[in-house]
Amino acid sequence: MAKKQETYNEALAKLQAIVTEIEQGELDVDVLSEKVAEASRLVKVCREKLFKADEEVKKILDNLEE
Amino acid sequence: MEPQAYSLLELNGLVKNAVRNAFPETCWLRAEMSDVRVNLTSGHCYLEFIEKHLQSGQTVAKARGSIWAKVYRMLKPYFEGETGQLFTSGLKVLVKVAVDFHELYGFNLTVLDIDPAYTIGDMARRRTEIIRQLQEEGVYTLNKELDFPALPQRIAVITSPTAAGYEDFLNQLHHNNRGYRFYPKLFPAVMQGEKTEESVIAALERIYAHSEHFDVVAIIRGGGSTSDLNSFDSYALACHCAQFPLPIITGIGHERDDTVIDLVAHTRAKTPTAVAQLLVSAAEEAESNVAALQQQCAALTRQWLRAEETALRTAILKIPPLALHLLERHRNTLRFTAHRLPVLATNGLERKGNELKNLRDDLKNGTETLLKQKKNALELAGQFVRLASPEYILRQGYTLTLKNGRIVKQVSEISTGDELTTRFADGETRSRAL
Repeated sequence: MAKKQETYNEALAKLQAIVTEIEQGELDVDVLSEKVAEASRLVKVCREKLFKADEEVKKILDNLEE
Repeated sequence: MEPQAYSLLELNGLVKNAVRNAFPETCWLRAEMSDVRVNLTSGHCYLEFIEKHLQSGQTVAKARGSIWAKVYRMLKPYFEGETGQLFTSGLKVLVKVAVDFHELYGFNLTVLDIDPAYTIGDMARRRTEIIRQLQEEGVYTLNKELDFPALPQRIAVITSPTAAGYEDFLNQLHHNNRGYRFYPKLFPAVMQGEKTEESVIAALERIYAHSEHFDVVAIIRGGGSTSDLNSFDSYALACHCAQFPLPIITGIGHERDDTVIDLVAHTRAKTPTAVAQLLVSAAEEAESNVAALQQQCAALTRQWLRAEETALRTAILKIPPLALHLLERHRNTLRFTAHRLPVLATNGLERKGNELKNLRDDLKNGTETLLKQKKNALELAGQFVRLASPEYILRQGYTLTLKNGRIVKQVSEISTGDELTTRFADGETRSRAL
């Protein structure tokens, strides 16, 4: 996706919202598959935040106060 | 006469004797220590005892003190063991002193013993006082009320960069089993002694300027069993920590008591290592939360799909009976219609027959009328023709004059002697023009 990547908190909140939506079970089958795809993407975003070094964050912190 | 005068030595000697007479025994002294320093070669400890005005904080009394090396060697570990607090400036102590006045060195209090219980009590009192003040101002629980981030990764670390505790912290953080990523950023500060309060506050202010880049603040310090707790029982520092917009985790390395900073911080850990463990646990929790959501999502989707499949299958099973029913209905309609067909056909034919008969009548009537009209017209025309005919006119008394078989229309056509024929209705007569 081209849009700016979410923060961990944003991704987590979206993921929770999707689970709630599916839980309430009022989704159309086509919408459901979209939601599931989005949920997988969000899980990936969260896991990447946990495990993958974010060079941008590093750079910001390294350059702070310089 | 010359007034009686003492030499300085004589005067100081008198003062020395007076002091000795006034304080023949040792006595106990309550005072705050300041400017505590140890002579590394001799091992003697020199300090100042001071007393500050309760309200204004102004120094109102001051005296030099010393602890001889052989006393200090015992006194320092005893005091630090009991209080968990380094023997250092800023502490209030209860000490047994010998009051001396020396001709050359002046007034001095020689410390012989110390009662750590007093210092413990004083520290507790002071802490209680700071807490009460923070509570009154409504800031005491502010930092604790902040939400701890779901994933604390960007950590502003306040510590002394040379401290062993910092190394432990980084090791623990970076070499976690699961391989979580953390981004610690050091904000160096003095963590021991009188400069501590000011230095840590300055570090907090620097972090505050970049607070959007951090998730949490860790205030850590390596440590043995004793440390300079006094610097952290500071109202100004506690006030800054309590109102800081990011959650603060402390690990200032002491076992015995919580300082005020520990109390106002969002989370308190014993050591820098413990702080790192706490952050790693938070990441573990974050990971398992995501995994749980993922599972929940998958399970719900499976359940949803199963339900849909069942609904579909039920629908499929319903189709044959529905179809049969529909067919039967159509067949009935057809049969009924077939029965009615002869009747409907007869009716239809009859209706058409009537229509036809009506049309024939109309045709006949129309034709007769038309013929009659035409006949009348013809009769009229005939009459007109009859009236205009020469026979009719001749019968009325008119005659027709012919010359050589042609009708004469003008007198000029006739010459004398011409033979003329005059035609009447009932015949002709010949004559000659005269």
